[in-house]
Amino acid sequence: AAGMAAPTMEERKACWGARDEFWQCLDSHGDDAAKCEKLRRAFEARCPQQWVKHFDKRRDFLKYKKKLETEGYHPPEAAGKS
Amino acid sequence: WLYLRHRKERQQRSRRLRDLRALALGQGDFQLRDTAGAARSKADFLGRWVLLYFGFTHCPDVCPEELEKLSRAVELLERDPALPPVQPLFVTVDPERDDAAALARYLRDFHPRLVGLTGTPEQVRAAAAAFRVYVSAGPRDADGDYVVDHSVLTFLLDPDGIFRDCYGRSRTAEEVARSVRGHMDTY
Repeated sequence: AAGMAAPTMEERKACWGARDEFWQCLDSHGDDAAKCEKLRRAFEARCPQQWVKHFDKRRDFLKYKKKLETEGYHPPEAAGKS
Repeated sequence: WLYLRHRKERQQRSRRLRDLRALALGQGDFQLRDTAGAARSKADFLGRWVLLYFGFTHCPDVCPEELEKLSRAVELLERDPALPPVQPLFVTVDPERDDAAALARYLRDFHPRLVGLTGTPEQVRAAAAAFRVYVSAGPRDADGDYVVDHSVLTFLLDPDGIFRDCYGRSRTAEEVARSVRGHMDTY
């Protein structure tokens, strides 16, 4: 809402911490979100919804970037071959 | 002959600087208000080196990181007493939410001399346009919250208000400080 104050420094760090814990969990479970439900909920509780969306997109982007770096670019038509 | 050529180069340089100074106020100018409510334009900052960043207080991660970096770069430069002080500036790209009070609260966590600027949507739009900064507010959610997509750049202005350099996400605080020092040396 327009009256909602921006998160303070402490709130930002708490949010980033919860996000990092959730992401570490995903990293150690091959991105299986079902294995990280509790940390996902903690992440959503600690961060504004808009930030959760932003960080979800960031993670997708980072994964995609890593894929490009390790596997190289495969145009959609060639995907079946790899 | 070398002396005459050197003198001619100096005169050309003076003339060019005079012309650039005349243009300075028309380029990259802004009409905004600081957190005390005082009107500020670029003229108020002439005579000082300026590091200027556009962002918003509801920013998830990029703006706090860039402001940390900006603060650290200014601190590094402050360590050298031979260098002139650098003025850090923050201009909001979210004037609807970032009023003077919101900016003051937010900027407290960064460099003590960091000045925050806001204004009417038109004034902020004009300031961003003057620096060719892309700004795009995203859709609002059920709570009315939104993020603002924007170019992530820190601009270096010299004491004549001339744009000298800009620094993106990939530059470290040390690299920014080193670059500013280099520009100061050739000024």
